[in-house]
Amino acid sequence: MSTPLLEIEDLQARVCDREIIKGFNLTINEGEVHAVMGPNGAGKSTLSNVICGKPGYEVTGGSIRFKGKNLLALSPEERAREGIFLCMQYPVEIPGVPTATFLKHAVNAIRKHHELPELDTMEFVKMLREEGKKLGIDNEMIKRPVNVGFSGGEKKRLETLQMSILKPALSILDEADSGLDIDALKVVADGVNALRDGHRSMLVITHYQRLLNYIVPDFVHIFADGHIVKSGDKNLALELEEKGYAEFVKEK
Amino acid sequence: MAGLLQNKPLLCDNIPWVEALRQKGRRAFEEQGLPTAKTEYWQYTKPRDLNADDFVMQNSEDYEFLTRDEHHHCDCGGNCSCGHHDETEGIDLNNRLLPFDAYYLYFANGMFIPMYPALPAGVEVKPLAEALADGEAKPYLGKLVDIEKHPFAALNTAYLEEGVFLRIQAGVKLNKPLVIWNHTEVDDENVFYNLRHLIILETGAEAEIFEYSDYCGAEKSRYFANSVNEIFLSADAVLRHYKLQDEAYKANHVALTAVRAKAAARYHNFCFQRGANIGRNEVIVNLCEEQAAAEVNAAYKMSGWATLDFTTDIEHLAPATFSDQLVKGVVDGDARGVFQGKIEIHPDCVATEGHQLHRAILLSDTAEVDVKPELKIYADDVKCSHGAATGELDEDQLFYMQSRGIDVDEARRILVEAFLDDVLLKIENEAIRAYVKSRV
Repeated sequence: MSTPLLEIEDLQARVCDREIIKGFNLTINEGEVHAVMGPNGAGKSTLSNVICGKPGYEVTGGSIRFKGKNLLALSPEERAREGIFLCMQYPVEIPGVPTATFLKHAVNAIRKHHELPELDTMEFVKMLREEGKKLGIDNEMIKRPVNVGFSGGEKKRLETLQMSILKPALSILDEADSGLDIDALKVVADGVNALRDGHRSMLVITHYQRLLNYIVPDFVHIFADGHIVKSGDKNLALELEEKGYAEFVKEK
Repeated sequence: MAGLLQNKPLLCDNIPWVEALRQKGRRAFEEQGLPTAKTEYWQYTKPRDLNADDFVMQNSEDYEFLTRDEHHHCDCGGNCSCGHHDETEGIDLNNRLLPFDAYYLYFANGMFIPMYPALPAGVEVKPLAEALADGEAKPYLGKLVDIEKHPFAALNTAYLEEGVFLRIQAGVKLNKPLVIWNHTEVDDENVFYNLRHLIILETGAEAEIFEYSDYCGAEKSRYFANSVNEIFLSADAVLRHYKLQDEAYKANHVALTAVRAKAAARYHNFCFQRGANIGRNEVIVNLCEEQAAAEVNAAYKMSGWATLDFTTDIEHLAPATFSDQLVKGVVDGDARGVFQGKIEIHPDCVATEGHQLHRAILLSDTAEVDVKPELKIYADDVKCSHGAATGELDEDQLFYMQSRGIDVDEARRILVEAFLDDVLLKIENEAIRAYVKSRV
């Protein structure tokens, strides 16, 4: 049996002295798509931020291994270069930094890590145009500063574009559908599904079942009060939709 | 103070009005002394290093040596044989050109290097000493600076001799920027020098001037450069005045630029300060007739123990005058940034606008920024605004970039560059802007 891509064991984490993650376990193998569903305040965003190394989150116990390596010892940028990508719920605006410039820095940082030659501007622009086209991102948009003045849909499309050009081994989608109308959701879901090649893995974090109609998971976990209370296949999401969270939280 | 007031031979010491002016400067400096924390407009910048007694002053070459009349008005474009396009012995100027097409005037350790650029007709340049000797400088010198209130300008006046006299005749538009290059190169001694430039734009004249202060030599060298510019803009004249101060980390650089703008004249100033132990740039603009306008912008970026100070005094002396200031700074290490911005709207100067904005980013816990906005408004029907904000780099922006694989130091660099982007856009000349950006 090969090494799992991501192994989270008995993870405990706190923010500002408040215990948020309380004994969380999850294993994701290559090519698998896992959905973690939970009510508001369950600690879903904390989980994704801890995996990505956002400052301000203190891990007090347990371990996270990525491709067998101790992930918690790595800086956020090292985690990204190893192949973890966080598709953010609220992508950050960076005035003064053109989107294309930002993306070129990111692509080359990751290529350098994998000992690939850096892309020159010509190669990069060509690649960006091709990938952008699939997501309805035009040249005008990539000239603008990162996320500045972007609509909710545009921001999510840019996140998806980053995912497709950075080609991460594990994509974490944090509430990828929030703020999206159905058309925008389809564009984003198509972009995500295009990356499902049997090798790339995904962790889809969501409150609602709706997104999972478009990005169909292999496994579904219900996350409440800092840990997983029930795991199952995609049908668990439908069951949850029917019964509501209260039913499952009570089971514990 | 003895270190700064020395008895050195000065050019033109036989001309009574020049000597009288120098004496006045010397007295004014003796009365005021070096600024202390109690001196108005010097609360934050403490020129302690200038209390030394080991400053060395060099004697200037006789102006007759510097003067080459036949070369002043050459517009051959470099094709004649007048000789002034050749390299000056000992200095390879070809290696010293900035990456844009320009006319160059060189000063080395405060002394004019007699190389005259081939300037177009209608543009006069001569060493200040020559303008002292022929009296052309007399109607201008000291007219815009109150030496009783500016101790370093008083000190500068006590040593009047080095600098340029630049006059652009009515309607003449200079086709390339004029670079005034102030290069310092010393070894162990602590050199002290003064520069005084007179810049006169007659009616409707237009020019771009790039003042560049750089340094090479021993890092420990603690020199002191003290310069004063007096700039006279007649009606409808336009001057774009850029400055890049890029000096040794123990350098002391004190500069005062005083401007008088007449009807519909426009003065654009941009100053980028980096390096120096103390770098003080003070800009005084008198908008004395209707429609006169000034844009005074600056950026500073430093670390170590530097203090970089940008101080402005915009005087609206006529109705319907306009001023705008944008100053941005990035401070790291134990460094300190200072911005003191004054706008004064005198009585009856209605329909006037004065705006000011300062923003700074602190990159370390020990960095400091001191800001003193000062608005004095004695007229109704005016539009004025000011704002100041100091913060840190945005953590969320940093994390966003890191989460895409970008190294945290690289992310910081990108964010600093982005922060300074809008103020650098105030440099209208693209080639100069690109050069200044390359030095950020």
